[in-house]
Amino acid sequence: MESDAGEQLRIIERAEAAPYVSYPKTAWWYPPVVGAWVAGMIGTFTWWRENSALFFASLAILLALELGFLNWMQRRHGAMPFPGRGRPPREIGRLWKGYFLTLPVIVLVVAAVWWLGGVPVAAGTGFVLVTAGIWYYERRYAIAAAKVRERLG
Amino acid sequence: MIDGLDPVIHAPKRLAAMAVLANATTVTFKFLKDYLGVADSDLSKHMSALEAAGYVATTKSGHGRGATTTYRMTKTGQQAYTTHRDALRNLLDGPQ
Repeated sequence: MESDAGEQLRIIERAEAAPYVSYPKTAWWYPPVVGAWVAGMIGTFTWWRENSALFFASLAILLALELGFLNWMQRRHGAMPFPGRGRPPREIGRLWKGYFLTLPVIVLVVAAVWWLGGVPVAAGTGFVLVTAGIWYYERRYAIAAAKVRERLG
Repeated sequence: MIDGLDPVIHAPKRLAAMAVLANATTVTFKFLKDYLGVADSDLSKHMSALEAAGYVATTKSGHGRGATTTYRMTKTGQQAYTTHRDALRNLLDGPQ
């Protein structure tokens, strides 16, 4: 019975890791597109006080684009992991922790730039930081995923 | 059957499917089929058993070649999976 339990736990460990490590190659355009989306989100605030109709319409379009993108990503991936649910392999868990710790730092930097330089400069900064951050994260993720695949065989 | 071990989940392919589902928002038929390395009919049979137990919810979208079947784990399924997993762990390591 113990050997059966051991085999079942091995099946579980490999299958629980599958959504995190079995995924199609990330497209080269993904980081700049996410960066552009964030810049667009910040950019809409140009019209915040001047033209509320344009502001809300831009926000709605960007949110609709995001929802469509997430839907497409989910179907392309096949099994999209969701932070806060399930048990990521420890290599991925560590990476996610770093990601979520870095996120507020980027928000604070962009907010400071916004306060000092205005919306266009903040949008530009958001684009650069998010594009570079996502690019770096994707590289680290690929390495971590390869380590998990190697460990679990 | 040892306390906590679920006969519906115990079969290796179903157990693996449940473990994948427990770690994803939704899972497509194709992903599960490729991961488990089973035929369409075999996967359908396993997923129907999980659905009949109330562990999995199925969504079908589109028609013809573009049709997609996706699965997500229900709360009942999540509970059953966690209980089964804990029971296996207890069997190996003793109660936590």
